[in-house]
Amino acid sequence: MHIPDGYLSPSTCATLFGTSIPFWWVAMRRLKHRLMSRFVPLLSLFAAFSFVIMMFNLPLPGGTTGHAVGMGVATIVLGPSGSIIAISVALFIQAFFFGDGGITALGANCFNMAIVGSLVAWATYRLLSGCAPLVSPRRVIAAGLAGYTAINVAALCAAIEFGIQPLLFHDASGAPLYAPYPLRIAIPAMMIGHLTFAGLAEFIVSAGVVAYLQRNEPWLLKTTASDVDDEAPGTREQGTRVLWFALAALMILTPLGLLAVGHAWGEWSARDFADAAARSEIAAASGNVAPPNQAPRGMERLSAIWTAPFNGYAPPFLRSPGLGYAMSAMLGTGLVLLTFLLARLVVHRREPRSSGTFS
Amino acid sequence: MSEAVDRQFELQDVHYHYHDVAALRGITLSISAGERIALLGANGSGKSTLLRILDALYFPTSGRVAFDGKELIEERFREDAFAFDFRRRVGLVFQNPDVQLFNPTVVDELAFGPLQLRWPKGQIRERIEECLDAFGIRHLRDRPPHRLSGGEKKRVAIASVLILDPAVLLLDEPTSALDPRAQSQMIDFLTESRGRTVITATHDLGIVEDIATRCVVLEDGQVAADGAPATIVQDHTLLRRTGLLHEHRHLHPDGSLHSHPHLHGHHQH
Amino acid sequence: MSPGLEHRQRGFVERTLASLLETMEHTLLAERVAERTGMLQVRDARVKVIALLVLVIAVSVSHDLRVIAVTFALALTLGWASKIRLVELMKHAWWGTLVFSAAIVAPAIVMTPGRTILRLQFGTITEQGLRAAGYLLARVGTVITLCSVLVLTTSWARILRALRALRVPVVFVVILGMTYRYIFVLLQTAHDIFESRRSRRVGPSSASQNRWAAVAAAGVLMSKTLELSGEIYLAMQSRGFRGEVYLLDDPPMRGPDWLTLAGVAGVAVGIVWISQ
Repeated sequence: MHIPDGYLSPSTCATLFGTSIPFWWVAMRRLKHRLMSRFVPLLSLFAAFSFVIMMFNLPLPGGTTGHAVGMGVATIVLGPSGSIIAISVALFIQAFFFGDGGITALGANCFNMAIVGSLVAWATYRLLSGCAPLVSPRRVIAAGLAGYTAINVAALCAAIEFGIQPLLFHDASGAPLYAPYPLRIAIPAMMIGHLTFAGLAEFIVSAGVVAYLQRNEPWLLKTTASDVDDEAPGTREQGTRVLWFALAALMILTPLGLLAVGHAWGEWSARDFADAAARSEIAAASGNVAPPNQAPRGMERLSAIWTAPFNGYAPPFLRSPGLGYAMSAMLGTGLVLLTFLLARLVVHRREPRSSGTFS
Repeated sequence: MSEAVDRQFELQDVHYHYHDVAALRGITLSISAGERIALLGANGSGKSTLLRILDALYFPTSGRVAFDGKELIEERFREDAFAFDFRRRVGLVFQNPDVQLFNPTVVDELAFGPLQLRWPKGQIRERIEECLDAFGIRHLRDRPPHRLSGGEKKRVAIASVLILDPAVLLLDEPTSALDPRAQSQMIDFLTESRGRTVITATHDLGIVEDIATRCVVLEDGQVAADGAPATIVQDHTLLRRTGLLHEHRHLHPDGSLHSHPHLHGHHQH
Repeated sequence: MSPGLEHRQRGFVERTLASLLETMEHTLLAERVAERTGMLQVRDARVKVIALLVLVIAVSVSHDLRVIAVTFALALTLGWASKIRLVELMKHAWWGTLVFSAAIVAPAIVMTPGRTILRLQFGTITEQGLRAAGYLLARVGTVITLCSVLVLTTSWARILRALRALRVPVVFVVILGMTYRYIFVLLQTAHDIFESRRSRRVGPSSASQNRWAAVAAAGVLMSKTLELSGEIYLAMQSRGFRGEVYLLDDPPMRGPDWLTLAGVAGVAVGIVWISQ
């Protein structure tokens, strides 16, 4: 599932890279907080482990083989922050050194596999394992399903990223500049392979390694078990995590807004009242009641006060509307995230905890 | 000279547990500056653990360990000044060199210690050049660790500790996994310690008399004997009990089976 | 079990071993090439890393196939000047991603709507389809070649240090270095685990036995990973590590390095400008 260079436009790559940065930053902070200096060797070794695991040829039912990324295992043993960093590091080395996955696409690959993959795996595992005892079959199944779900959601993200390329980026003759298949082809094409082989491989590795650890070294599974929670109350943290994920999903899906035609009801500008085409549109949307001939005076006065830097979600210096739209999405979300993170920093003052496996 | 100043390390009834295993069960020991001690014991007797206690990597579960009169407790190491001073003055060479060579190249490895202790960069560069020559590893300077042989790894590992010029050198099984030539080079190195306190953990009885003036034998986490190497090495009962000696059997050309205590390099027939 | 299936079940250990060996060979090749005296080997790593990024971005942004093709030719020339043999480049870079991309993009030739070029039984080849395939393959090929030329001519340690010039935080550089270093230790361990499994095997094993073997290997590897990381942490602490990491400075950039940097910047600007 490693996306090479050339499949995603530079703006898509930049957006996904920009989205990944806050996740990396938050993950590093949490790790430093929880593990102190211990996290340097731990993450390095785990990234190396993840790298080697990606090379294992797993025999699957039906005589085929598959490869697993290890996002389920990494999340369950290290927790989502550790998994995000460890898998990102492994992906970096694969991209630069082994040419597996592009360099400009590194942000996209990390977002799909390391970030979305880890968060989905974590949420699924916690949800499904509930308060089951540490050494129980339920946790094994939960682990398997966590891995399966995570890799499929990651694949879906990649499929969407591919699928919107021909829509947004094509040359003068209409030929797609990057990935050439639209959503209706990209999604089934990616998902078929992952719902079957890759997903199965991930299920087997996640469930299998957890089963193995339950038998041999159960203390390694404590980090994500709900009864030994070394962070703030479990449910609140879980809620926050799920929100992160939802936010990320929304960010990717913003360009789908380009598919919508026309204006939302009520979101008209003062100029629309003078334009004939806009007027008929307003009328049609308002139960065929004709709009007033002039824009309401209050509206005209207020609209002169503030000129947005990115008017109509299109920065003036970018010619392509699609590019502008995507950039606006990134900027807008970035601002929201920044505000959120700053607020968090001010409000939360956590003491370092010494419980848990890796303190 | 008062007794307190003379004692570099002072251990009083030190116990250490981890994961329900009692590794050290009441060690009481004094070590003076400049002593050359061989720490003997079978695998699992607690030698490595004791070295780590001396290097303040583990802290005793109960009991007291002091270096130069100051007790080694976790809180003390939060102070920069104390931590830096201790880390510089006491160095540990691990048994597995792969664990100790964690930097991308040999030069980076040598630089790690001085960089952590915030030496000035110019001084660091000079020291590195000196060490490369002193240990005969100049040709390895840009090599990554996975391309070094076992003997080369050990040399780089020792160099990376000695670059700090510690007052105490702790070594965990320095001759294990080395070929004979590298082994004898290591022994030569260990015999000229230049006033440093050197504590070598080993189960190789053959080198003890060369490298040490005092032998401490560990058995199951406790001190079983403490004396001159010559005495200890002759005490076969002790050695057999602590698992350091075993019966060695081999066939003679005439078909008879010869059995005798196995002591490296000391038997003739 | 049918003979074909049995053969495939038996093959999984061999195939994993083959992947592991391939990785080790890959790195050996890179280290060997980095020691040759070619044009790029002597250039400062920072210049190479920045050049790579700048050129890759320029190629990604460009809409002009001819320009991308010229950049590809430039990359090949640089490779030749740095004593990289074509065969090595093919094995290291093209085999894999390029072939895979060609397979992926082939259907697009007939599936993209547009002006008809050729009518076939199963579909119509369109101009737009050909262009789309052209863009994708040209970009993939050029970027992979540029990246390989950089990585083959620079030792990993130097590449990492060069990342500092791009303001990557020191802690990441250290983690990346350590990860790379220990990949080899774990590769060796994994190799040993699978080798011993292969030598102990008597007769074919069932699919589920093989699966459990793979999973158990992963579990053992994980234990070793965590054990190693604990020991390494102690070794780091023993030499003064307290959470902050420091690196030695690089030697200063020399005249030819600055010239190369300027040249690359010029090429990149040219690419973007021509393409507009």
